[in-house]
Amino acid sequence: MNGYVNIPVTKAPGWHGIIAWDALLNGMAMGLFLCAAVSELAAPAIFSAVAKVAYPAALVLLLVDLVLLVTDLGDPLRFHHMLRVFKPGSPMSVGTWCLTIFSLPLTAAAALSILAGIGFDFEWARIFAVIVGLVPGFGAAAYKGVLLSTNAQPGWKDARWLGGYLTNSAILMGCAELLVLSALMKHTQATAILRTAFIVLLLLNLIPLGLLFRNLQPTHARLYSREQQWRVGILIFTSGALVPLLLTLLSGGLVFLFGSIIFLLLESWIVRYVYVKIPHTRGA
Amino acid sequence: MVSKTASRELQLSGLVQISDPPPRGPVAEVVERLVYPFQHGEPPEPRAPTGFFTDTTVCIGCKACEVACKQWNQLPSDGFNWSGNSYDNTTELSATTWRHVKFIEQFSGESSSNRWLMMSDHCKHCLAAPCHQACPTGAIIQNEFENVYIQADICNGCSCCVAACPFGVITRSEMGGHSHKCTLCYDRQRDGLEPACAKACPTQSIHFGPVDELREQARQRVEELHRRGVGEAYLYGDAPTETYSEMHSFYLLVDRPSVYGLPDQPYNPWLNMLGDYVRSVAGGLAAIAVLLIVVFLLRS
Repeated sequence: MNGYVNIPVTKAPGWHGIIAWDALLNGMAMGLFLCAAVSELAAPAIFSAVAKVAYPAALVLLLVDLVLLVTDLGDPLRFHHMLRVFKPGSPMSVGTWCLTIFSLPLTAAAALSILAGIGFDFEWARIFAVIVGLVPGFGAAAYKGVLLSTNAQPGWKDARWLGGYLTNSAILMGCAELLVLSALMKHTQATAILRTAFIVLLLLNLIPLGLLFRNLQPTHARLYSREQQWRVGILIFTSGALVPLLLTLLSGGLVFLFGSIIFLLLESWIVRYVYVKIPHTRGA
Repeated sequence: MVSKTASRELQLSGLVQISDPPPRGPVAEVVERLVYPFQHGEPPEPRAPTGFFTDTTVCIGCKACEVACKQWNQLPSDGFNWSGNSYDNTTELSATTWRHVKFIEQFSGESSSNRWLMMSDHCKHCLAAPCHQACPTGAIIQNEFENVYIQADICNGCSCCVAACPFGVITRSEMGGHSHKCTLCYDRQRDGLEPACAKACPTQSIHFGPVDELREQARQRVEELHRRGVGEAYLYGDAPTETYSEMHSFYLLVDRPSVYGLPDQPYNPWLNMLGDYVRSVAGGLAAIAVLLIVVFLLRS
C-alpha cells in the first residue's frame, strides 16, 4: 500500500573512511599553519622558532591530505578538472581553489623556514608568505564542513553546525600540535602560553560540538539505540575533552602533552568518522 | 565489483577504433590531458526549454521506456535480479539505468479501492538543480534546451552531485568512475527528434515537448481527471515551491509523492549554504580570537 515510502530516496556518495581521514588531516594542516602564523605574527620573539618547524610539518600534512582527496575521486587522473572553473556556489570548488592558492605560500613559508635553519634567512619573504597564506588557509579550513552539510543526504543536510565545529576543531588541533612542537623544542614560554590557550580552546570547542550534536539528535535517534548514543557520547566527551584537559592541567611535561593530543586526535577522528558514515548507516 | 558484462564492455572499449586519433607520444598525451579540459567552446544559442510530463495514470508498466533508453544510449545491462518488490526488478536509477519504472500494489479487502500505481521515473531536470550547483568541475551544465546535462569528458567523479541530488538520480559509474544520468536524449533533440523513451511509450504516459506547452497540457489533464471523479490527481514539480525550483520533468500523481519514492517536500540544500559558511567562519574566528587574547595576555 505504501509503495516506496520506506525506501531511501537519496543515494549516498561513495565517501567513506578516506574522507574522515581527509577531514582530520585538513584540520590538522590548516590548524597548525593558522596557529603558527597567528602566534608568530602576534609575538615573533616567542614563536618564530617553533613556527619555522610548524610550516614544513603543515606542508607534509597538507600533501598527505591532497593525496587522499585525489585518490578518492572516481577518475584521479582528472583531478585538475577542478581548476577549469571557479564556482562560488560550489563548496568543493571554493575549497579546491583555497587549497591550491594556499599551497603556494605554505610551500614558500616551509621552504624559507628550512633555508633559515641552514643559514639562508630571508625573514621578510617568509613573513610575507605567511601573511599571504592566512586568508586562503582559513578558507581551506572553513569550506570542509559546508561541503559536508550542503547536500541532500539524511543527517548531513541537518548539520548546521558542522562547519562551525570543524573550523573550531582545526584551530584546537593546530594549537595542540604547536604545543607539542614547542615542548619538544623546549621553548618554555611558548609552551606555557600555548598550554593555557589549549585549555581554553578545549572548553570552547565543546560549544560547537554540542550544537552539532543537537542538530544531529533526530538522526542519531533514528540510526542508533539510546545505549549506543550514550556510549559514543561518553567516549567522545571523555577522549576529546576530559582526558586531554586533565592531562594538560596535571603537568606541562612532554609525555602528558603528547598523551593529551593523542586523545584529542582520536576524538576528532571518531566525530568525523561517525558523521561521514551517517548516510551509509541503517537504522538500529 | 564490476560485473562480467561490465568487464566485457571495458575490454571492448579498449579496442582501437577507425575513428580513434593516431597514437601520440607519452609527453603529447600528458599535455593533451592537461590542456584539454581548459578549452571552452562557444555555448550554443538558447532554444525553447524542453522537458517531460509523465502522466502516471496511463502508465501500464510495460518498461518500453527503460528498454528504449538502454538501447539508444547504449547502456549496459545490470544483470537479472529478483527484488521481490512487485514487478520492479530494476530497483533504482543508476549510472547505467536512466529510466526506472516503479510499481505500487494497493490492494486491500475493498475491491473498489484496489489499484495498481505505476510510474516511469527519471532525472527531474530541475531549473535550479542542486547537482549543477554542486559540480566543481563545470561538467554539469544546463544546455541550450535548459536540460541538466553531464559532460562525460569533463566529470572527474568527485560525487558532489550524487550527494546533492534530493531525488537520488545521479550515480557514479563503477566502470569509468564518472557520474551519469538521463541526458533527455540531447543528441536526438539536436537532430529534431523526441527522446527515445517518449517515442517508445505506447500509452503516451511520457509526453515530451516545450515545457510551457507541457504545463498547460498537464493542467488540462488534471482538470479532466477531477471532472471524471479522480479528485486526488495533482501535479508534482510543475511549479516552484518555497524550498525548491520548478522541474522540467514533472509528474501527474494520484497519491502522496513518497508512495512513488519522491520526496514529499523537496528541499534545495543550497538554501542553507550562506548560513553554514557564516557558522563555519565564526567557529574559526572565535578560536583564533581566543588564541590571540591568550598570546597577548601572557607574552610579557
